[in-house]
Amino acid sequence: MTPDLSAAAPIQRPSLFERHYFLLRRLHSLTGIVPIGVFLIAHLTTNSAVAWGRFGLRGEFPDMGVRDGGVAYFWREVLWINQQVPHLILIEVVLWLSIAYHSVLGVYFAAQGRCNAHQYRYQDNWRYTLQRVSGYVGILFIFYHVATLRWGWTWLVPGGASWDHQRSASTLAAALRGGENFTAAGLAVSLFYFIGVSLLVFHFVNGLWTAAITWGITVSAGAQRQWGYICAALGTGLMLAAWASVIGFATLSPAQAARVEDTARGQPFKVGM
Amino acid sequence: MATHLNATPPPDAAPPSRGPATPGRTVNFKVRRCDGPGKPGRWETFAVTVERGSNVISCLQQIAANPVTVEGTRTTPVVWDSGCLEEVCGACTMVINGKVRQSCSCLIDNYAPGEGDTITLEPMQKFPVVRDLWVDRSRMFSALRRLKTWVPIDGTYSQGAGPKETPDDQEIRYKLSECMTCGCCVDACPQFLLEPDPARWETSFVGAHAVSLARLFNEHPTGRTLAPHRLEVLSGHGGINDCGNAQNCVKVCPKHIPLTESIGQIGRAVTVHQIKKIFFARPDPHAAAKGPG
Ligand code: SF4
Ligand code: SF4
Ligand code: FES
Repeated sequence: MTPDLSAAAPIQRPSLFERHYFLLRRLHSLTGIVPIGVFLIAHLTTNSAVAWGRFGLRGEFPDMGVRDGGVAYFWREVLWINQQVPHLILIEVVLWLSIAYHSVLGVYFAAQGRCNAHQYRYQDNWRYTLQRVSGYVGILFIFYHVATLRWGWTWLVPGGASWDHQRSASTLAAALRGGENFTAAGLAVSLFYFIGVSLLVFHFVNGLWTAAITWGITVSAGAQRQWGYICAALGTGLMLAAWASVIGFATLSPAQAARVEDTARGQPFKVGM
Repeated sequence: MATHLNATPPPDAAPPSRGPATPGRTVNFKVRRCDGPGKPGRWETFAVTVERGSNVISCLQQIAANPVTVEGTRTTPVVWDSGCLEEVCGACTMVINGKVRQSCSCLIDNYAPGEGDTITLEPMQKFPVVRDLWVDRSRMFSALRRLKTWVPIDGTYSQGAGPKETPDDQEIRYKLSECMTCGCCVDACPQFLLEPDPARWETSFVGAHAVSLARLFNEHPTGRTLAPHRLEVLSGHGGINDCGNAQNCVKVCPKHIPLTESIGQIGRAVTVHQIKKIFFARPDPHAAAKGPG
């Protein structure tokens, strides 16, 4: 094929997007790990304290059982984060911007592919498909999660519970259950949490696995397999933490949690606080 | 050392054989037909008597000799492309029973061992159909031009003997050099989409074969001189970042080329190339894009 040189096309300067394509793509990959992935690990560690916190109390509240001890530990942890961590709002804004960037570019990049796992039924191809599905569902879930529990969009919460870091365990349980007892809408919210968090854990560890190929850290098939085992182990741990958190709070009675919060605080809350 | 007459189907492509095939049995070929670019498609089924060792091409030759469907309608001969008939040119690639592979090496005894079994033939999905099972794979070669996957030796004076090679490097590159640009890897790739407009090939995904061939020539002692250009193109839109790591490519490649390793290798080279650009020099990407070769 001989190129036609008589009518050379005018040289166009590529668009800003095309010129910085590499940077935009790698920033997308990086934000998924730092700060989003790191935050996910920290967040699930804190929340799963509802299951393991009793064993971290170091002798305090010796009368409390596993359940109440977990609530007390979680409650104190959340209070510490909200009152002691410096520049919390800065951390939050960086996180929100990273999530927004990762979401917008992620949807744009995902739109460039066509899943064909029904035709080529390889395990890796299902991973590819699930990575995209979990991204889409994850965006909806994170938006609902942050809007209701952080920005106070209580009209989206069944029962209208408003999350408060002073009463972190009881208000969270109420938001998941739709009130003191499970309502149908509360069950739907809890289920949405279960699915959303599970998909996000998958999205993170699978992204961690592919990022190592993208950046050229794992090159050989053997290295990719071994990094896969490490990611799978991390994913199993995070998945257990995620399930412990969602199930732990969905099965928690808000009234009982409020009593534990009062005990842990050393004095009861004023009504309406 | 790989044999060139490689009759083994790619992994997962063939259904498990159901006992010894009966010679002289009738096999139905359900063929996706299309009279030309932009024309509507239709299915036609042909019954073919197969012998031991028949392959898809030999059956298509029988259909061409007597193009009558199972309903008894006389139709036009089915058009296909082929060259070597020994799985080294890649021209005969098509989608057989839903998976992409070469038709010349596709043995009927593996795919349709029983009387009345059906084999489905469709053109590749990611290339414009010229007619019936014949597609236009120009975009694959355009990607190779974009990445300059060759050794630049043209000049006005003799460059003397080439550099020394180690046997280890030779062995790695020998495997990569077996690529026949057949298109299986890109046809199965969820990130490689049908794009009939050549004007858009400059920013659309180059495909696993091109990434692997870029690696082949980046590792060649003389081909290396074009590595900055290749890595610059592979950093941009349609380059290595457009791979979604579904790893279908490596599973369908008939030559068992370690495509995902090439993808990781090029990922690393691109990372290093970009970091070098930040800290050591800032070559104008447009100058690099017009570099030697
Ligand atoms: S890499 Fe394999 S599948 Fe792809 S074009 Fe080359 S030989 Fe075909
Ligand atoms: S690994 Fe990349 S090139 Fe290979 S099939 Fe997947 S997306 Fe395509
Ligand atoms: S005709 Fe050459 S590969 Fe089949």
